[in-house]
Amino acid sequence: MSPSFRPAFAFTQEQIVVAITLALLVLFSVTLDSFLTAGNILALIQNVSILGILGVAMALAIIGRGIDLSIVANMAVSVAWVLQLSNNGVPIEIAIVMGLGLALAIGLVNGFLVAYVEIPAIFATLAMGTVAYGFVRSLLLEDNLIYLKGAADTWFKWIGSGQVVGIPNSVLLFGLVAVVAHVVLRITVPGRFIYAMGDNPTAARSTGIPIRPLIVLQYVTAAAIAFVAGVIAATSVDSVETRIVRSNLVYDVILVVVIGGVGLSGGKGSIRNVIVGTLLIGVLVNGMTIMNVAYTLQNIIKSLILLTAIVIDSLMNPRDEQTSQQGDI
Amino acid sequence: MSDAPALIEMRGVTKRYGGIPAIEKVDFTLRKGEIHALLGENGAGKSTLTKLMAGVVAPTAGEILLDGKPVSFGSPAEAMRDGINMVYQENSLVPSMTVAQNIFLGDESFFNKLRPLYIAAQQFLQSLNFNVDPWASVAGLGVAKKQMVEIARAVRQNARVIVFDEPTASLTPEEKHHFFALIRRLKADGVSIVFISHALEEALEISDRITILRDGKLVMSDDRSKFDRERIVTAMVGRALSRDLYGEGTKTYRKAGEKVLSVQNLSMGKVVRNTSFTVYAGQVTGMFGLIGSGRTETAKIIAGIAKRNFLHGGETRLGERSVRYRVPGQAVRDGIVYVTEDRKVEGFFDTMSIAENIGIGHIAAGFNKGLVVRTSEIAAIARTWSEKLAVRSINADARVIELSGGNQQKVVIAKSLVQKPRIIIFDEPTRGVDVGAIAEIHQLIERLADDGLAVIVISSYLPEILGISDRILVCQKGRVVEEFRTEDATEAKIMYAAVH
Repeated sequence: MSPSFRPAFAFTQEQIVVAITLALLVLFSVTLDSFLTAGNILALIQNVSILGILGVAMALAIIGRGIDLSIVANMAVSVAWVLQLSNNGVPIEIAIVMGLGLALAIGLVNGFLVAYVEIPAIFATLAMGTVAYGFVRSLLLEDNLIYLKGAADTWFKWIGSGQVVGIPNSVLLFGLVAVVAHVVLRITVPGRFIYAMGDNPTAARSTGIPIRPLIVLQYVTAAAIAFVAGVIAATSVDSVETRIVRSNLVYDVILVVVIGGVGLSGGKGSIRNVIVGTLLIGVLVNGMTIMNVAYTLQNIIKSLILLTAIVIDSLMNPRDEQTSQQGDI
Repeated sequence: MSDAPALIEMRGVTKRYGGIPAIEKVDFTLRKGEIHALLGENGAGKSTLTKLMAGVVAPTAGEILLDGKPVSFGSPAEAMRDGINMVYQENSLVPSMTVAQNIFLGDESFFNKLRPLYIAAQQFLQSLNFNVDPWASVAGLGVAKKQMVEIARAVRQNARVIVFDEPTASLTPEEKHHFFALIRRLKADGVSIVFISHALEEALEISDRITILRDGKLVMSDDRSKFDRERIVTAMVGRALSRDLYGEGTKTYRKAGEKVLSVQNLSMGKVVRNTSFTVYAGQVTGMFGLIGSGRTETAKIIAGIAKRNFLHGGETRLGERSVRYRVPGQAVRDGIVYVTEDRKVEGFFDTMSIAENIGIGHIAAGFNKGLVVRTSEIAAIARTWSEKLAVRSINADARVIELSGGNQQKVVIAKSLVQKPRIIIFDEPTRGVDVGAIAEIHQLIERLADDGLAVIVISSYLPEILGISDRILVCQKGRVVEEFRTEDATEAKIMYAAVH
């Protein structure tokens, strides 16, 4: 896509989403009394921090030309098992190590299925999410809803409910995960390889990049990030509801990744796009909640916004015959 | 002939890709019922001109007249409705469907009864004298038969103009003969034919008129009788000595250096059958063969790219060591790199800049110490190589997709050269590359051999093979069947070995 094909007023999808977010911010600040207060803005980010962290995990998979539909299931069952173990008297430190091990094992199987068995990521991770949920729920957990009881009075509880200099931990951790992921993707060897693989897997392979280990690494890392999101979620509401696996959460995660401008075809976008997408959803949901918009209507509005962003992007950055015929003269 | 009315007339058409003109202010006339050959070197703009005719791309400037009325085709389908069909270099058939289904594709009735369809296809193919089974699946057909199906499809759609993009490139002499007979028959029925070719003899043999393009501009367009081989070559290259580009005559041939690679009884399914050959350092080894001769596959086995299981036999020796690579990464670390024939699909990373592309080659070869990418070091390496290979772009941050074919190819080559190979395999190194860059890439290949590398060049263009190699291997049906010293080789000898 050479600049000469674009209309002069072209913006990237990311810029469009930023503009929409700012417009909504201004609109809500003017029309809603309680919107523009420090407390509400922090609450706004806190509400979407879990979504954002899961978005980082998802973006990692998508940039490498994959997708991970098992992250919600993975997060729910591995952290539920941590709570279950600690309720049964296992020290919380050991429970965390075991839970993390479970999460990583699920990621490892995902990576193995995609890289070595060569199953398309969308099927492998969809199936793996269901398998993991089924096994853990029936073999390791006593109930759908696991409460944080055993470790309620330890440092563990502080992770999701505490705060540092007035900022909730969940917001800080979202920032930390995003920064680390961004740095890893941008300046480390595996990060560059993930971009190359997402851009053109065949070229990446023949250039000598170890594609298969890289794919495994990608899904294991996504699983680890999902575990972190799960721990924060569990400790902020003192429980894990494993039936969240049956919810629309995974679609919301894909939404924040794609809406910010990470290309589903791989190799395009960065963690910055995830943050932009997350903030848009955060502002939107927060404003609508203050306005008392019904949950179903909120969903409709969210999906319309996504459609709008995609339509604007495709109008401004057309993918036509000319752009794909570059250099073929 | 020259008094037949004009069917298509192009006036001052220009087409730019990202600011770079592919053709500029070209006037072109196609008359009713003529066979019109379109000649020019790689990158001269032949494909672009035909794509404009067939509505695949729209002109940046200028106008196209059909029957004297200006037209602008929004898509190939619109051009087809007006009777202009194109038969592509790359097949545009649906491989999983049968011949009959492909012929009627897009034109089926709502309730598509198969039996009448096959009967109609059978009759139609017979009327064209094509010996193709309408029940056969297209995937299983040879190149020539696939082409027949494409032509049948075009004729059935009442084509008034059929454009062929290098129709004879992959045909055997016998098939070529049939193809020419067919073209003459179409002409007798009043169909106008445009065909792009690399082979001058063909153009002189069957065309009524010839148009020659160079660097996107029209050089001349006239009746065939006004041309001879010498004149065409001069017009195409722009100077009298056409063989200049491929270094004729006084060339000195390099002596074979150390034996670096020997392949013994290598096999892979039906594509590579029991092939054996040797490659020496400090020399360019040319590999010639028609499509389907297994050249590319052999190269891909050597470089570890082909996914090959343990049942496939044979041995590859690197020096004295027996090697068998599972992934290309192992080959790269042993100093074997493969520069692909299809750079868009498996060559470069199109969202990345020139420097990033070259950098990925550097990192993937394991030259980046530690886990953190040394950005400034890589930027310097990328700059050095871009200069060495004279990669021309508006700026260093330009994405590779925005470059011309020749510059893209240079980036892909640079990406491999930073990996410090001992053996480098070029697969069709000048395909889709502009004329200026062809000479530069050839010089680069020679320089690599002078520097002591073992260079393998795969090409289906005989003048290139003869001009650049010190030694020529000819492949046929999955194995190396002949070996020539270039001094002793002629186009005829090589072609004979490749076909018989």
